[in-house]
Amino acid sequence: MQKWKRFAFGFVLATLGLTGLATAEDYTSLPRKETLIVENPEGTIKNPGWFNIWVNGGGGVSTGLQQLTMDTLWYIDPEQGLGGAAWDNSLAADKPQYNADFTEMTVKLRKGLYWSDGVEFTADDVVYTVKTQMDHPGMVWSAAFSVQVASVEATDPQTVVFKLKKPNSRFHAIFTVRWNGAWIMPKHVFEKVEDPLRYDFANPVSLGAYKLKAYDPQGKWYTWEKRDDWQRTSLARFGEPAPKYVTYTDPGPPDKRTIAQLEHNLDIIHDNTPEGMFTLKEKSKTIETWFPGFPFAHPDPTLPAVIFNTQEAPFDNADVRWALALLIDIKAVDMASYRGAATLSALGVPPTAATMKDYQAPMQDWLKDFEIDTGKSKIKPYDPTVGQQIADILRKQPKFKDQIPTDPEAISGAFGYGWWKPNPKAAGELLEKAGFKKSGGKWLTPDGQPFKIRMTVEGDTRSVFTRAGTLIAQQWASFGIDAKAVPAAKLWQTALQPGDFQVAIAWSVETWGGDPDLSFFLDSWHSQFVAKKGEVQPPRNWQRWSNPELDKIIESIRGISADDPKGMELGKDYLKLVAREMPTIPLMSYNVFTSMDTTYWTGYPTIKDPYTDPVPNWANSRLMMVKLKPAQSQ
Amino acid sequence: MTPYLIFVLKRFGQFLLVVFLGVTITFFVTHLTPIDPVEESIGAITQMGQSDPNAIELMRQSLRELYGMQGSIWQQYLHFWLRLATGDLGPSLSAFPTPVSTIILRSLPWTIGLMTVSTLITFVLGNAIGALAGYYRKDMVLKAVSLVFIAMLPIPYYILAFVLLIVFGFIWPVLPINGGYEMNANLDLSFALVLDILKHSILPALSLILVGAGSWLIGMRALVSNIITDDYVVFAELGGVPKGKILRSYIARNAMVPQFTGLAMSLGAIFNGTVITEIVFGYPGIGNLLIEAVHAGDYSLVLGLSALSIVGVAAAVFIIDVLSPLIDPRIKVE
Repeated sequence: MQKWKRFAFGFVLATLGLTGLATAEDYTSLPRKETLIVENPEGTIKNPGWFNIWVNGGGGVSTGLQQLTMDTLWYIDPEQGLGGAAWDNSLAADKPQYNADFTEMTVKLRKGLYWSDGVEFTADDVVYTVKTQMDHPGMVWSAAFSVQVASVEATDPQTVVFKLKKPNSRFHAIFTVRWNGAWIMPKHVFEKVEDPLRYDFANPVSLGAYKLKAYDPQGKWYTWEKRDDWQRTSLARFGEPAPKYVTYTDPGPPDKRTIAQLEHNLDIIHDNTPEGMFTLKEKSKTIETWFPGFPFAHPDPTLPAVIFNTQEAPFDNADVRWALALLIDIKAVDMASYRGAATLSALGVPPTAATMKDYQAPMQDWLKDFEIDTGKSKIKPYDPTVGQQIADILRKQPKFKDQIPTDPEAISGAFGYGWWKPNPKAAGELLEKAGFKKSGGKWLTPDGQPFKIRMTVEGDTRSVFTRAGTLIAQQWASFGIDAKAVPAAKLWQTALQPGDFQVAIAWSVETWGGDPDLSFFLDSWHSQFVAKKGEVQPPRNWQRWSNPELDKIIESIRGISADDPKGMELGKDYLKLVAREMPTIPLMSYNVFTSMDTTYWTGYPTIKDPYTDPVPNWANSRLMMVKLKPAQSQ
Repeated sequence: MTPYLIFVLKRFGQFLLVVFLGVTITFFVTHLTPIDPVEESIGAITQMGQSDPNAIELMRQSLRELYGMQGSIWQQYLHFWLRLATGDLGPSLSAFPTPVSTIILRSLPWTIGLMTVSTLITFVLGNAIGALAGYYRKDMVLKAVSLVFIAMLPIPYYILAFVLLIVFGFIWPVLPINGGYEMNANLDLSFALVLDILKHSILPALSLILVGAGSWLIGMRALVSNIITDDYVVFAELGGVPKGKILRSYIARNAMVPQFTGLAMSLGAIFNGTVITEIVFGYPGIGNLLIEAVHAGDYSLVLGLSALSIVGVAAAVFIIDVLSPLIDPRIKVE
């Protein structure tokens, strides 16, 4: 009978393709008090057994693979970091050392670091990583190395010298993690592989403090186990990682995520809807969020904005762009999109904690004095009280009144400082200055045609910004412009890259977050990279905007090191320029509604202790492992 | 050459022509979509922090070469057939270099399991009720049951899927509404796992069974209504043969011949999957895979799935055609 039963089970499982699963250990059998359970926002992984992160093979990246097992030379945390600085020398013992003209970079590596299979990490691994990728076009960082590296060599086991094809003061950025970076390959594994492009790297060898324990062959979860020799990894400088096991799962749509966390089966939700977050805050006593009260969410170092295709008339005219900015009622947009839970930005940098300190706060006086000429008058468009006004609106809602900060500094940190105040009169004057006319309540372009705007939005895939774009189009329409929001599937690939749009809601600004150096996105805004109309635009200047003054700023930044204090002054010059020219209308940070359950673990990053970005798909989130503490006795 | 052999060869020629045309049309349709797998990959790579425009352009050229997307569309078409002739579906472009066949084989058992079971249940249920309703025409219970199934026939299966999802997932949450098995399930061989898998298949299967049974029911009822007036049935009744035996041995067996033809075609169409059902219930089959492949512009995977479907349906029709003269004496090959 037993034989027959076993055969029956085997048959059913084989029919359902589960024979491979029979050996996988399920993560719920692990001791809960020793296991951190985290949402993987990538969902179910299509190619679950693929761990070769150096080839874009459809495998997961945020499964814990990049956060817990990979390592590279440096990290810049989007927040304050551990060890007193956002900058972290990880595999490197020190900051990069450049020669005078930035054509050579020398890296000193740490001693005593080991791969999880007991092999020592050395300079040969770094050299192998670069050379292998250069020799195999199609690997993720192969092109970046091929374009920049003339030669690379290990002068001793802890020293690597890069010779560059042309001066580049930011070459180290490729080895610096923001949320990902050029990870170092295990030479001793890959050198035995016939073709690194076709190698799945099953049973991955780890350089991080964790190693693979088990995963679901259908791609729904991955479990990683703390290495016995975690002291021989770069993270050990900050202490011992607390969770013995970390599981990344696909918990399903927002309602399932919310329920799982209410039941304490999911410690960290990567991102929820605003409504899901409000529910959690209301119903759970154990939830921790970045801001303790409204807006709860963590501001990502990206800047959603109204992006103009500046190669298309009339959006090539700064007066038209400014007119459209002055027709936006940001308070209504904020309430429609994030239900008020947003951090606004009038400047062209995301309002992360660091940029608030480095740029937003110091430039408030400049913003208050800033003037634009409408052709008929000069106006000061900035309203420094918008953040305060939003806080006042929310405080009137009984549900939120106790959660809204009252301290002006806290309000600015949570909701932003100010924004442009709606000024339809000035907007009309600017349009007239640009040759537009109003007839029968409708605006006509200089050649007498109805002024039509199609605002491209992402639809369901990013509903928060679809709501914002739709409302902005309505606000323009109520002014007499024929404006409509139109959804586009795959907005980036089908509209932004080919330039097949007029106006869109997206972002073209991504910063380090925790560091004032703006080169991360700004370098690619140089006019040398602006595609001709009809051709594909390389990232990230989706607005296809060029300006000689901007080129000068970018060239000046290229000529100084990343930590030169002059960089911040050049950053402010850029912010003043884009405020005048308005190639994009900055709206607000990309707020990520990350929630953390304290039933099993405490010590999560928050605005009170902002040691790292809480959003768990960022590789920086490895820092959490050493700050977390078990909430219950073992 | 016997007439039957000539018939088989002709039908085989038609089978090859159908497969060739189907795959050709699919090839050109997929290559005309605005989504480009190279740009998809570049999008993923730039998310990893790369923004050097020179490097991105170099990457674009490398990936085009790697993915076999260089040359004209006709050269790509020829290359595709040469590869397919050796049984190679090529690498998936969105999960490069994993072979398309590996990815399909991971999802296919789920669809085959769901579709085979639900098709067979639909077939048995529809024909059983149809036979009974056709024979016992005055039975009120059978009339009512038939009416329910026939009323559900025009409802699109995905609408019914949403209704079931709302009823059993939210209003009366007794059944799982997502996935093929519980995410936290213990995956060791056990009754619990089998039950869990079956539990997860109930709602998707039910959405297919409830809508599908009606068409079998109508067909069977009509066939039975014709047969019961045949002389041999009348004689059997007059001879006092028990009604159950008449229905089983005299009526149903004869009526089942054309129904089995329909069943064979339905089983052939299993490779189409049920895209919307799988999406609604998050079922890990080839329907979900197809949608992912379309979104990612993964030509190879779309072509692999389409080829499977085309060959499956065409092969089923071919097999039915060549077997029919051997099984059914009323069919003659001239």
